[in-house]
This record gives sequence, C-alpha cells and structure tokens, in this order.
Amino acid sequence: MAIQPDIDSVVVNGVHDMGGMHGFGPIVIETDEPVFHAQWEGKVRAIFSGTVGRYYNLDEFRHVIERMEPTAYLEAVYYERWLHAVETLLDEKGVLASGSAPAPQAPPKRPSNFPAPKFKAGDRARARNLHPEGHIRLPRYVRGKSGVVTSVKGPFLLPDANAHGNHDVWEYVYPVRFAARELWGADASARDSVSVDLWESYLEAVR
Amino acid sequence: MSAARPATSLDGNLALPRKNGELVFEAPWEGRAFGMALALTDGGPLVWNDFRQQLVEQIRTEPDHRYYEQWLAAFEALVTDSGLLTREQLARRAAEYRSMERDEVF
Amino acid sequence: MSEHEHHEHYPHEHGHHPQAPSDVEARALALESLLIEKGILTSEQVDEIIRTFEQDIGPMLGARVVARAWVDPDFRKRLIEDANAAVGELGLSTTNLARLSVVANEPGVHNMIVCTLCSCYPWMVLGLPPTWYKSPPYRSRAVREPRVVLEEFGVNIPEDVEIRVWDSSSDLRYMVLPERPSGTEAMAEAELAELVTRDSMIGVGLPRVPAARS
Repeated sequence: MAIQPDIDSVVVNGVHDMGGMHGFGPIVIETDEPVFHAQWEGKVRAIFSGTVGRYYNLDEFRHVIERMEPTAYLEAVYYERWLHAVETLLDEKGVLASGSAPAPQAPPKRPSNFPAPKFKAGDRARARNLHPEGHIRLPRYVRGKSGVVTSVKGPFLLPDANAHGNHDVWEYVYPVRFAARELWGADASARDSVSVDLWESYLEAVR
Repeated sequence: MSAARPATSLDGNLALPRKNGELVFEAPWEGRAFGMALALTDGGPLVWNDFRQQLVEQIRTEPDHRYYEQWLAAFEALVTDSGLLTREQLARRAAEYRSMERDEVF
Repeated sequence: MSEHEHHEHYPHEHGHHPQAPSDVEARALALESLLIEKGILTSEQVDEIIRTFEQDIGPMLGARVVARAWVDPDFRKRLIEDANAAVGELGLSTTNLARLSVVANEPGVHNMIVCTLCSCYPWMVLGLPPTWYKSPPYRSRAVREPRVVLEEFGVNIPEDVEIRVWDSSSDLRYMVLPERPSGTEAMAEAELAELVTRDSMIGVGLPRVPAARS
C-alpha cells in the first residue's frame, strides 16, 4: 500500500509523539479550571466543530498539528495548535480563498464485505518498526516491541491513509498489552503494563 | 432529555460556563434565567434558534457583560419581541422587586 | 412532582433583614413571576430543566453509568462488553457518542487513561478534558511512570496491584469503572453517583468515601 505524503508534510517522528519522553517537568493541576481560559479559545473550538468532518477530517487535522515546527508545537498554548490546524486546513482546501468553497465531504462508509481479522485475543504480536513520512498512530515507544492482543475492534479508517487524501482504507484495530519491562527495561515494574490500540498493518505475528 | 440537545449547539463563546465539566451558576437567578429560556424553547411558544440569535447579538453588542447577563437580556428581548410580555410590564415588575413591595422568589 | 420546596435564597441574605435584589436578579424575578401569572410557565418546569441538565452533561454522565454498574451486575457485564449500548440504556443520547470502551478496576488491577499522541478523551461522558490531561508532562509520563504520576495526584497504589495504562491511540475512547467503596452497601444509586469523581473515571483518583455513619 503506497501512501503519498503531502508535499510539505515530511515529518518523521514528530515531537507530538510523547509517550515515555523525559524533560517536560511536573504535571500542573489547576483546580476548578474553566473550560476555556479565554474567549478566543472557545471561538477556535467553535470553528473546529463547524468545519471538522465537512472540509477536512480528524486525521488530517491531527497531522497538521504534528507537522508544526517542534518548538512552535511545544510553546503553543493547546488551542493555538487547533487554531493553526484549522487555519492551515481551510486555507489548503481553498475554503478561505475568495470564490467558491469545495462541497463538504460526506462521511466515508464502512465497507460491508470485510476480510477476517488477522489476530485474535491472546495472540502475541509485535509492533512493526515503521518510521513513515506522514501521519501514523503508532507511538515510537512500542515500535519493535511485543505484546499480547486483548481484543479485536473496528474496522476503523486507517489514519495514515485518511490524513493524506485516501479515505477508503479500513483496518481492524487491536488493543495490545505491553509489559512495562518490555517497554522501559529491567528497572520497570514487573507487574504493570501499557495497552496501545494498533491498526492491523502496524502489527506482525510473533512465532 | 430533549432539553439537552439545543443547548449543545451553544459552542465557543456561546458556551455555558462550567467548572470541570459541570454547569456553574454564580447566583440562583442565573439558574432561573437558564431554565426559563430552555423551558420556553423546548416545545414551547418560543423557538430555540431565535433565542440563540438573540444571545449572539447580546454577546456582540455587550461583550463586557457577564455571560448570564447577556443570556438574560437575550431572553427578555425574545419574550418581548414575540409579544408574550411587554417591556413596560417587565420594568414595572422588576421595580416592585427592587423596592421589596414584592418578595416571592422561585 | 407534588412536593416541591421553594425557599428564599438571596446570596447576600443575613439574619432577618434580606437585602433588596440587584438589578439583574430583579429582572429575572420579574420575568419568571409574570410568565407564571400568564400561565406560560411553571416554576416546576424551570426546576426540572436545571436538574436534568446538570445531570446530563459533564462528569455526571459518567458517574451515573458507574453507579448503575455498581448496583446492577448484569449492567456492569453489558457495559464492559458493549459500552455504547449499555450507556444508551440509561437514556443517554448515543448519536454523537464515540466508540466507548470501559475498563474496570478490580482487586489487583488499577486502570489509567492517557492519549500520548494528542488529547483523545471520552468527553461525551466526562465533559471536556482538563488541561493537565492534554499537557506534555502527563502525556509523556503516564505510560512510563504511572505510579509516580499517581502519587502526585495523591493516589497510592500498592505494589501488588497491577497498573494498566491505556493509550487512546485509535477511535476508541476509554473510561475507567472504579471499584465501589466499602461501606456503601445501603446507599441508593443516586447517592452512589455523587461519590464518583471525574478523576476516578480517568484513573488518577479514587471515588469519594462516604462520611462515617453512626
């Protein structure tokens, strides 16, 4: 399956993929925080609600944010990233240009005849060591690691394709449980685990 | 509950004030204003979208007013525009409350 | 509703000499009293709206689901098998509900939710996510050092309890079903729902413990 990334979106392993990273400091908990800290944040969310699923899809939206220059991504207040994404997508899709806007997209329909899932609950599977240019929902911290499939979900649209103009690719998704020591080394808990939802093409069988 | 549905169309700067996801009323009258608007637009004599338009207008013309002041003004405008009550009736009744001639509360 | 309490509740009332209402209060009172007089509205209708709405959006939705699962073991089973269908049984609208997956705490297992890649969150049952959930420190550390993170939230999980962190990387939205606190056997479902906090449904908190009863 050949995915053509956008011309501008040569992002491999963007800074958004944060699982397991160090150096972000303590978790700051604001008690009784308001839903929006300033009016403009609410406006951004409103614009997002009114345009997502019509002029662009959620995977395209996430990928624009992932394409942000790393320091810009980290320094931006949360809704600034949304604002950037909405502006970029509406511009790229020609919605902001004067003249006609493209017709809103219809939501893709799941295909009716679908092959059987490749994995089942209880199977061991390994996350492939993929480092694509373009959007992927396979976190770095599980690539090359093995775990146990705990259930079968979906099929869901494959984000790698959906973010880049191909809205027909559906795959089963498997929550896969990885032992903490598998992910973080021998000093990690012997008991704890992390489960990650992985699309079928992200996984290979373990003998 | 059908009342929940129109209120979910309040997004962005129209959104209801919340803390940790839960509705916040700074004073009981805010809750009453909220409840009245929903009661009359949910299968009642007023139309939700008309209220929403009024709210948009109030937020636009009085951006420094607190949210439920804008809400209250929008509801007053809607109630009087649709002829359910007159501005004179409202003004007189409000004066009676302020002078404490009248003190029943809800 | 046959029994209904109405009481004076001016926020600045003290002693026997209530103060006059403010301008905005007076306007709201004028509206309600006139609309009632004209038979357009009843105060009970307004009460009902407020009550229902406060229970319909935000963490209270999730809390109702949890309380039902605590009192009804068959519902709990259905909730874990097909969360969307089970939540729909409570009359909650499922048209906008993303695919929900409920993971249950049990003796020996504590669950915790994160989205390392962005900020996916079961907002349809929990409302909008708090800022810390969307922040780099939580997103990066929850998968790597969940026990330390939980300590920072004031939750101590014993060493012999397994912590399962769920990274919401797909279309599924996860919610934790916390364990029912002991000493709540006599409590009604609505009372139980009030013990359930938003943080306990993300997995960074535990339900409230009821006040000791004599």
